[in-house]
Order: sequence, then C-alpha cells, then structure tokens
Amino acid sequence: MESLETTKDQRLILCVDDELVGLEIRKVLLERAGYKVLSAPNGPAGIELFASQPVDAVVLDFAMPGMNGGEVAVTMRSLKPKVPILMLSAFTSLPSEVTGLVDTYMTKGEGAPALLVRLGSLLQ
Amino acid sequence: MNSSRFDRILHQVLLVPVLAVLLGAAAIAWQIHGANLTVANIALSDERIAETLIIEKLISDQETGLRGFQTTRDPRFLEPYFSARRQLPDAFQHRTAIATSADRRSNIFRIQQLHDTWEGGFAAPLIASIQGGADTSDVNLNLSGKRMMDQLRKELVDQNSFTTQRRDQYTRDWKNQVRFMTVALLVLAGAIGALIGLYGRKLMHQVSEAYRDSNEALRVRAEHTYQSEQRIRTILQSIGDGVIACNAQGIIEDINDVACELTGWPEQGARNLPLTDVFRVISQSTREPVENPIDKIKRITRIVGLGRDTILIRRDGSEIFIDDSGAPIRDKQGNLVGFVLVFRDITIAKKSQETILANEKLAVAGRLAATIAHEIHNPLDSVSNILYLLGGPSTPEETHRFLQLASQELARVTHITRAMLSLYSETNTPVHLNMREFLDSILTLMERRFLSDSITVETEIPDTLNIRGFPAELRQVFSNLLTNAAEAAGHHGIIRLKANPVDQSPYDTGRLASPGVVVTIEDHGPGIPDTLRPDLFKPFISTKAQPGTGLGLWVSRGIINRHGGTIELKSSTAPDTHGTTVSVFLAADPVMEVAGE
Repeated sequence: MESLETTKDQRLILCVDDELVGLEIRKVLLERAGYKVLSAPNGPAGIELFASQPVDAVVLDFAMPGMNGGEVAVTMRSLKPKVPILMLSAFTSLPSEVTGLVDTYMTKGEGAPALLVRLGSLLQ
Repeated sequence: MNSSRFDRILHQVLLVPVLAVLLGAAAIAWQIHGANLTVANIALSDERIAETLIIEKLISDQETGLRGFQTTRDPRFLEPYFSARRQLPDAFQHRTAIATSADRRSNIFRIQQLHDTWEGGFAAPLIASIQGGADTSDVNLNLSGKRMMDQLRKELVDQNSFTTQRRDQYTRDWKNQVRFMTVALLVLAGAIGALIGLYGRKLMHQVSEAYRDSNEALRVRAEHTYQSEQRIRTILQSIGDGVIACNAQGIIEDINDVACELTGWPEQGARNLPLTDVFRVISQSTREPVENPIDKIKRITRIVGLGRDTILIRRDGSEIFIDDSGAPIRDKQGNLVGFVLVFRDITIAKKSQETILANEKLAVAGRLAATIAHEIHNPLDSVSNILYLLGGPSTPEETHRFLQLASQELARVTHITRAMLSLYSETNTPVHLNMREFLDSILTLMERRFLSDSITVETEIPDTLNIRGFPAELRQVFSNLLTNAAEAAGHHGIIRLKANPVDQSPYDTGRLASPGVVVTIEDHGPGIPDTLRPDLFKPFISTKAQPGTGLGLWVSRGIINRHGGTIELKSSTAPDTHGTTVSVFLAADPVMEVAGE
C-alpha cells in the first residue's frame, strides 16, 4: 500500500483486484499511460485507500474473496458518490444488479487500449 | 311380467273351470239323486201292485177251488184253495210291509180281515158241510159268500187303483224331473261355459297385457344393454391408451383402435389370435422377450406393471417404447375369466426424458464453461497487457520480468485446461478414480465460486479411496451437490466434504452388499422444510430463491443409481441444528446397469 502526493495533471487511479500478477501489470500499464496508481489486493483494503486518498477513478474486480466488487462499489458510492468506478471482471457478463452499481463494465482480456480509452472517457 | 304373477294366472286358469265343472257335477248328482228316488218309488209302486195282484190271484184261486169242490165234491179241487191259504199270510205280511202309509196299512189289514171273515165264515164251514155230505146249494148261503167275496174284490181293486194312481204320479214326477234336469243341465253347461269363457278372456287379457309388459321390459332392457355395450365400446375406443382384452386362455376378444394402431394389427385380424402373436414385447436392455404378461398376471393375480423398459415390436417390425399394465378379469364367483392389458406409447416421453437429461448436462457444462472462461480471462488479461507493454520502451530488467510473468500466466491457463480435459474426458467404460484426486479437482474448479462468497470448504478425504465409475457423470453429481451446498451455506458459510470407506451401503439398496465409499457434503444453511423433502428427487422441483432447472438432484440420483449407489438427504430447519447433509454411497466396483452415453 502506498501514499502519494498527486499533481494537478496526474489523475489518481485506484486498482482493486485479488489477482496479484494482473494487478501488478495493470499498475505499470496505467503509470506508463500517465496516471498515478494505487493498488489494493482485496475489497476492505481498497475501501480504506478510497476513503483516505483523493482518488479520481476506480478500476474494480468483481470476484474477490470475502467482499465482492459489488459490495465494494456500494460502500465506495456511499463514501464518494461522484468518483467514477470501472468494473473489470473475468466474467463475460454480470447481472444488471451489479453492473448498475458502477459507471461502466469491461471484461478482462479486451486489451490495454480498450481499458485506457474507457478510463479516459470516464475521467472526462 | 314377473313369474309369480304369471303363475297366479296359470293357477286361476286351471282352478276356475275345475270349480265350475265340480259345481255342475254336484248339481247333476243332486238331480240324479232326486230322479233315482222317484224311480225307486215307481219300482216300489210296481211291487205293491204286483203283490196286490198276487193276493187277488190267491184269493181267486181259493174261490175257484172252493166252487169246484162244491160242485164235484172232489177234494182235489181244494188243492189250490189250501195252497193259496198257506201263501196268503206271507203275502199280506209282505204287502203290509211295503205299504205307503199307516192309512194304507190299515186298508190292507181290513182286506185281510175281510178275507179271514170270508174264509172263516163261509169257505171253511162250506167245506166242512160238503165233506159232511150236507147239501150246500142254499141260495142265501151262497149269496152271502158271494157278497163277502165281492166286497173283498172291490177292496182289492180299490187298493190297486190307488197304488196305480200313485205309480202314475211318480212316473209324471220322474218325467218332470228328467225334463227339468235336461233344461238345468243345458243352462248350467251354458253358464259354466260362459263363465269359463268370460273369466278366461279376462285372464288371457291379463296374460296378454303382462306379455306385452314383459316384451316392453325386455325391449327396454335390450336397448339398455345395447346402449351400455355401445357406451363401453365408445369408452374403450376413446381411451388414449391401447387396451386389449383376452379370455382366460389368452385369446384376444377385444382390442381398441389405439391398441390396433400401436401394434399395427387391424381389429378383425387381431381378434381370436393369441395375445403373444399380437403383443410381442422385449426388454430394452437385454433385447430378450419379456415374461408373457398373462403368466405374470396369473402369478400375481392383481394389477401389475409389466416392466419399465419394455419395447413393443409392431407387426411391421418397427419398435416403440411402451409402458404397460395388466389386470385379471374375474366373474362374480371370483373365477378368472380373462385379462385386460393397458399400454401406451412412451417413445416421445422417453425421448424427451433423454432430452431433459441432455439439457441438464448442457446446463452443467454451461456453468463450468463460464467458470473456466473466468479462470482463463484473468491470465489472458495479464498476458495481453504485458504484450501491450512490451510494444513500448522497457528496460531489459522490465522486459525480463514481463516475460516471466507472461510465462507464469500462460502456465496457469494450461493447468486449467488440462484439469478440465481430464475431468471431461468421456469414456465408454468405467475407469478407476482416486476419490481424493477426483474431489480435489472439482474443488479446484469451484474455488473461485467459494471464494467470492467467502465460503470455507473443510475436507477430510483419505488418499486411499478408489472406485470405478464414469468421471464426467460423477463430476456432474458432485459439482451439483457442492453448488447446492454453497448456495445453502451462503456468505461466510462452511461446507464439510468427507469421504469414508464402508463395507456396504448404509442404506437399503435392494442390491447385494458390496464395499464402497460414502461421501458426505454437509452445510449449515437454513435447511429444507419437511413439506418439500419428499419431492426433492423429482424432476422440475427447485427450492432455491433463484430457481435452477429443478433437475439437479433428479439427474444426480439417476447417475448414482447407475453406479450401483444411493443418495440420501437429511435436513433440519430447527434453530440450533439447521442445515443439510447429503450422503452418497458409491460401490467400489459397481455392476453398471446401462452404459453412460
């Protein structure tokens, strides 16, 4: 877990995923794209960072032990309703009750450019 | 008309003429009796006349003899005199005895006195005088004797005249009686004839009416019988199942349209044929002819199902699956008089059952495919991102690290696909399975599922348990049972998965005891209410909030049974002990019923 000072032109992105390899790669990818990145390996850790840091957007996994992405999204929305959340899951589809909780939904494996485009449009 | 009424009329027909004739006969007898009395009186009168005439002749003989003796003085002339004198007392006595009345008796007595007077006062002295040689020609003397005799004769004539009159009277009476009797007989005969005729007519009218009633009743009954028969025929023809009725010898007597259609035999052709010629059935699994239904019904003597996997061979040789049952037909005394066989075409049902099973397999496969897709998407995403990063500027260290990670993620994909292939490899014969490895592989694939709901799975599976079976089918069973347990256990729930060796099934399987393994899956969910429990193993029953296909347990039990095993479910909804435990017994070396497809 890390704490960073954000500059005005560097947006702070929070990544939450229990897939540690995926999380590490995603962090590098987003940093190379010019974002500041915070990462958390589970829901509770993610919520803690989300509450304490000026996060601009969240990239959230769904299937995680203990607390799934849906539950995490509900808590985040109650804390800071305006922060956009991108749900990124290995499931090709999720029930609308879950996707309705977040701003946009993507399936893992769609590729890095697609993720960057979606995240960019969310931050605008 | 009922028979008692008919009998009564018959009795009346016989009795009335007999009574009438008896009455007539009584009247005739009475009349004849009267006539006989009259005839007897006539005969009596004749006897009186004859007797009087005898007396008259005897007296006349006396007088004639006396005159002869008086004239000739020859005693021979007195012979008739004395002869008559000897006979006369009897004649008078007899005549007195048959006299009509006391009056007539005194009259005869007077005649007798007159005769005695004549004899004592004239005849006897005259004879004595003649024998004494005296002269007897004195006129006065003779006149006196003549007067006596004249009076005597007159009395006799009067007497006879009276008797003759009486006889005439009797004769007239007799004639009247005969005439009356003739008329009476005619009238009586006519009356009896008329009576019998009228009464007979009345009775015949009743009989004819009764006959008409009986005829009508018979017609109505025949009509009812006909309608009833038509009704039964219509019902028989309307039954959606094939129905064949046979006599006790198994010869077909009735066959409905559906049965004709199913067997391929026309009704007329099938009638009078032995059942086994028309209804040829074999077992689906063995292809051997099944026991003759009639023999089975005879043996069991009640309604019997005739086996589930029965195939009917139609007349043209084509085959259909049937479900059939048979029952004996008994008369009022309980004697076996025939059999009825009911069967239906279940080919479509059988096919749809197979389709349902295939669908459930597909549903299970679909769920697994989603799980596997999920498992593959994670490493795929990492690899795809690494490739993207490698497309940009990276330090050699970074590049090395990225390639290492990519290789690690691809190894994960291989691991997952291999695990899947090993589980889904289809075999036509049962293979050896180590229960520990087998159950672990299922848990691996379901790990994500448990993880997302924070479910803990506690396992207690010895390494040494081995069985034979079809892995794909058993996988379907255990992933199904584990999914059920996970859904019941809920968030942060605990599932206990145990396997233990046993010498034989702990449940009554109806099979020979054989050693095997009992796998128990225990959750502490809310439990299944008692009301739902009896239906759990039926198809299309789901107790879940978000219903599944409702086929899981039904299919599972089918698979387990095919593996010579049993499945039992215990559940409690009590606040302290709620939860469900499913126990599956699998024989170590089962005799497979029907090979898996």
